Amino acid sequence: MANAFVAAFEILSFGAIIVLIVLGLGIIASMMGIFNFAQGEFVLLGAYITYLAYAKGMPIWVGMVAAPFVVGALGFVLEALIIRRFYAAPIVAMLGTYALGLIIRESVRGLIGGFYLTVPEPIGGSIDIGTMHISAWRFTIIVITLLVMVGCYLLLSRTNFGLRMRATLENPSLARASGISTPLMYGATFAFGSALAGLAGALIVPVFSLYADLGIRFLIQGFVAVMVGGVGSFIGPVAGAGVIGTLSAALPWIMAPVVADVLVFVLAIAFIKFRPQGLIAGKGV
Amino acid sequence: MPKSMGAVKQAIPAEIGGEADVAMASSGTAVQTAAGRKILPIVEGVVLVAALAAPLVLQDYLTVFATRVIILALFALSFDLVWGYAGIMSFGQALFFGSAGYGVALLARDLDITNILLVLPAGTIIGLTFALLLGGFLLLGRHPSSVIFVSLGTLTGSYAADRLARGWYYLGGQNGIPSISSMTLGGYEFSEGPSFYYLVLGILIVVYLLCRFLVRSQFGLALAGLRENEQRIAFFGYKVQHLKAIIFAIGGAIAGLAGSLYAFHEGFVWPNMVGVVVSTQVVLYVLFGGSGTLIGAVIGTVIVEGVSFWLSDNYRDIWPIILGVLLLLVILFRPLGLISFVLGERERVGSFGAKAKEGVKEKRNAP
Repeated sequence: MANAFVAAFEILSFGAIIVLIVLGLGIIASMMGIFNFAQGEFVLLGAYITYLAYAKGMPIWVGMVAAPFVVGALGFVLEALIIRRFYAAPIVAMLGTYALGLIIRESVRGLIGGFYLTVPEPIGGSIDIGTMHISAWRFTIIVITLLVMVGCYLLLSRTNFGLRMRATLENPSLARASGISTPLMYGATFAFGSALAGLAGALIVPVFSLYADLGIRFLIQGFVAVMVGGVGSFIGPVAGAGVIGTLSAALPWIMAPVVADVLVFVLAIAFIKFRPQGLIAGKGV
Repeated sequence: MPKSMGAVKQAIPAEIGGEADVAMASSGTAVQTAAGRKILPIVEGVVLVAALAAPLVLQDYLTVFATRVIILALFALSFDLVWGYAGIMSFGQALFFGSAGYGVALLARDLDITNILLVLPAGTIIGLTFALLLGGFLLLGRHPSSVIFVSLGTLTGSYAADRLARGWYYLGGQNGIPSISSMTLGGYEFSEGPSFYYLVLGILIVVYLLCRFLVRSQFGLALAGLRENEQRIAFFGYKVQHLKAIIFAIGGAIAGLAGSLYAFHEGFVWPNMVGVVVSTQVVLYVLFGGSGTLIGAVIGTVIVEGVSFWLSDNYRDIWPIILGVLLLLVILFRPLGLISFVLGERERVGSFGAKAKEGVKEKRNAP
């Protein structure tokens, strides 16, 4: 019983991490039609900023709060300078964002060297339930993921800003005719997606420690999750991330980890092949 | 050892020289038949002469490096066929490269087969088989697959293969398969150096000429149409998905050939060879050089690898950053690659008019 509970918690917490990472990726892919290869590096940057704050002797919380804002601002600038030119061609966008990611990743690698740098958990220790212990920080990540998810959903579906965003992405010319500044909305969407990646990086760095390939590790899982969930909506990629995260955490408990690792990808690609629209088809939130 | 190398150095160029004459002669006729001046054959000729002369002027360790570059150029050619001509974004080209490498490494390790006449076809067939399987799955089917799906599918395939190779003890896990014995032909061993260089260069020239023939044929014209506007080609009655699967398989076969050469040249294979790193590296080569021109892929490989080799002594850390910046600049301002500085758009597309009669014949034969 205790083992099953620990397993369930592990699966849930890994699922939450994947959801957190995919949120930003999904918003950019669904709303803008761009598969952002630099997203993994935005995650890395978020982690790096957190580490930097810690290394300078500031409380870790400061870094974690600053990370989404800094990465979001960077995303806004990059959108205006570079990403904007790629909207017409999705493949070129992949290559361009890949180049961006390469630049960011290698810069961070140059700054930290080839090391694995650890950042302590801001909430250490464990939560004891009877005889079972679960990591307090992992539990916090689950809670924050839920909050961020609900927050994003409300932002997109209930606020004026979300309405403008969706209008711009669904029909840019009509949105422009209605007086919405579409370039600004594109920039804001991209910045928002980047900020979520920065937040994800800041939150997961105590769990995975900081190294230059931190972002790459999750990027392909993230893409697969977005495709499984369905491009075009907010909720689709989140659902896909839940499925992929749960599967990749759960399968190693019942079979050899190597097989499980590959099986998740094979299953996912096969699923997308036969259901290209994904788990949840349709546009909107 | 150095003695035998010297002997080879003298013997081989005479042999290859004959081939060079043939190649030059064929490009010579191309200049004559076409109206106006052509730059492409000149570029090809310069590259060929430079490649032939390289081992004569380079030091031995540089010849070894040059061999690696030629093998990678062959690999780049395979990606250029798939992306530059047919417009299929294969982010997993290393899957075919690396699996062939692993395949021949296993042949050498477990069955002691190193005969060049067996291992190179074996590698090619491995690449072809994997490309047929993956390409067949991703490209064929009732509904045409989206570009995004194909590119992410190939990327995922390559990533999954990487993970598999890392975790599978039989394949050597993280360390890969070290110390593969040299390729042999009868009693002769191909070790690193000029003999291996000219062997690889000969293969590259043959494959290049085959590709050149392929993309200048009716099939190549259909492929170029596919890249520019897939729907129109479909309306003309071509089976678009079949065309794509065929070129994807050919690309896989060439990548497999390159992979088996690479495995024997380096003497070991390791998981990165099937993974995303090498897959994206080949994309870089082709984008730099200029996709959609075969020579562009070769030139791109030489430039990227050459500059990286040159800078790696002093600027090892910042070189990848410079590479990223350059890549971004090329994508933004020179989407046709560096070759577009010397090569006009018309020549890049190629002229099919001169061979119109042949083209009609081929079309009649085509299904």
